[in-house]
Amino acid sequence: MRKTSLCIAVAAIFGLSVATSCAYAQDKLIKIGGLFPMSGPGSYFGVQDKQGIELALAEMNKTGVNGYKFEIQYEDSACGPLPATQAGKRLLDQYKPQIVLGEECSDATLAIMPLMDEAKVPFLNAGSSSIKVTDPGNPWTFRIMPNEVMQGVDIATNAYKRLNARSAVLLYENTNAGIGNAKVFGDTFKSLGGQVLADIGFGRDVNDFTAIATRIAGLGKVDVIPTYTLEGQGLRITQALAQAGVTKGGGGGAIQLGTIWLPFGFEQKAGKAALGYVRIVQFDPTDKRELVQNFIRSFKAKYNQEPTHLNAHAYDQILLIADVVRRGGKDPQSIRDTLAATKDFHGVTGSVEFDKHNQNIRMDTIHYMETLPDLSWQALAWN
Amino acid sequence: MLAVAVQQAINGVVFGSLYVLVALGLTLIYGVLVQINFAHADIVTIGAFAAYFFTYTLGGNYVASIGVALLIGAALGWLINASIFAPLRERGSELLPLIATIGVSVLLQNAMLLWFGPIPYSFDSPYSNQVIRLPGGTFITLQNLIIIAVSTVTIALLYGFMRFTFMGKALRAVAQDRETAGLMGINPNALIMLTFVIASALAGMGGAMLGPILVLTPFAGTSVIVKAFAIVIIGGFGNVAGTIIAGLLVGLIESYTTQFINPGLTDIVVFTLLLAVLALRPTGLIAEKREENV
Repeated sequence: MRKTSLCIAVAAIFGLSVATSCAYAQDKLIKIGGLFPMSGPGSYFGVQDKQGIELALAEMNKTGVNGYKFEIQYEDSACGPLPATQAGKRLLDQYKPQIVLGEECSDATLAIMPLMDEAKVPFLNAGSSSIKVTDPGNPWTFRIMPNEVMQGVDIATNAYKRLNARSAVLLYENTNAGIGNAKVFGDTFKSLGGQVLADIGFGRDVNDFTAIATRIAGLGKVDVIPTYTLEGQGLRITQALAQAGVTKGGGGGAIQLGTIWLPFGFEQKAGKAALGYVRIVQFDPTDKRELVQNFIRSFKAKYNQEPTHLNAHAYDQILLIADVVRRGGKDPQSIRDTLAATKDFHGVTGSVEFDKHNQNIRMDTIHYMETLPDLSWQALAWN
Repeated sequence: MLAVAVQQAINGVVFGSLYVLVALGLTLIYGVLVQINFAHADIVTIGAFAAYFFTYTLGGNYVASIGVALLIGAALGWLINASIFAPLRERGSELLPLIATIGVSVLLQNAMLLWFGPIPYSFDSPYSNQVIRLPGGTFITLQNLIIIAVSTVTIALLYGFMRFTFMGKALRAVAQDRETAGLMGINPNALIMLTFVIASALAGMGGAMLGPILVLTPFAGTSVIVKAFAIVIIGGFGNVAGTIIAGLLVGLIESYTTQFINPGLTDIVVFTLLLAVLALRPTGLIAEKREENV
């Protein structure tokens, strides 16, 4: 009896594996590499990117695209140049992907780019803002989010013209993206006639922002404080500025400004201190397009939570790859060439059209939001 | 400008007090065992998470959560020493326990990553937004007042324990000469255990008070521990009084560097001080003979 059961079990396992092999054999496969921070202070990026990617993959793999299905392998690039380089090499050597997604942090993205250029594998970025990613960039790197110049010029102009801001304090982490974003804001703001009262950079290891808030409080009247940090430090800065009575959240007059760095839910974590915070997000959940509302419904059904802009731009990355495969991309070279020819792709964050540097030039991915007293968002029709 | 200078002094003393709590644990262990404990940072983090979950999940009082974190830190110190460090010390190697502290650190970080996830927690003390306005336009939050009060009482109690109680004297005797202390009827292993328990309790307590300041992730303690190591060296390895002075000094240096130079240069200033101390006064600010350290 025991021998019979064993035979049945072996036959079942063998049969299953044969069936699985047959299923893979029928579908051609696009292998996608994912380089995202899964550990360290930027790991919230990786967690949320993965959610968006998994949702899109499940949808695309239901029917496949042009006979292709999609598979992804992740490596932890940890938001830093060294771990990103190591993870990138591992991915290229062992998994041999046809396209790679990532990173979120500009320093990490800039470190990965030469590897992809050398391996001639297209590299699709959705979350790094440093101008260097696409200018000068390289032929294999593409970015769907607006870069620091596009965001910085736009938000500085809006601060000056729509908020009537005349004085600013720049707060930023000392990274390529932080320094670059702050510089673009400062240059644009000054060219319009505004005054930058202080230019304050800090390391990612800074924990206590009361000293920085005290310094800003001592500067007198400040209209806007553009802030470029990851979520954790961003929370502490917002709370310290409110405690020092600088920002609206603490009874002061200054408005914090931000770009595409902070996830949804930031306001709830920061509490009343976030009152009046105006920032750019890459995804507007109030967008009425069917694609957006379907994405929100599917996301809620799968994860029982509201999608963030990180979920959304990761989802768009897979949708764009599927679109490229639909248009004939099948190997690294043809995927790169088809990506470069993208003119009118519509994703949940907005549309995509690449320029000669492979930078998305469409501005409809920039959405402005303001934090209201009940910590909900109000979309600002500034673009 | 005077108000800003006074305000930065208050900020510096608050953060310096927290540095002292964390650094004291390191210096105690070094004083008794001449061993660096790399897992100390993770006990700080666990203390912060313990306070967070006690406050948010169990609905406990924040001040009580500091006590809870102290107890959890103490229990963890006992457990780690009993299960890992003590057996390794019995093998007679000085190197094995040191390497084990790195292993324990990695283990604790990854366990926390698994349980708590990588997304930063928002740990707000109910006292963080209660601002007490002081004369001259300065202010202090109730949270910071609690930090200063709890740190001062804890440091005073620890100092009194080490100086005036039999156990404290026995601990210093073990630090001075473990074998001779054993011949005098003192059980060195029990006192080493006591050292780990006290050091870890301080780390847990420090974590509970750092929680509302830190970016609370499984790696939170790491950002503080580098400064704590610097403080221990500046103060004099194993020297309690030196550690207290150095901790407050580093807190003040960070605040004034932020105000008058650049917050991006605080690490450079602190570590330049560290190098200067190593070059000019290698024994630390308060130089004592090794056998009188603790």
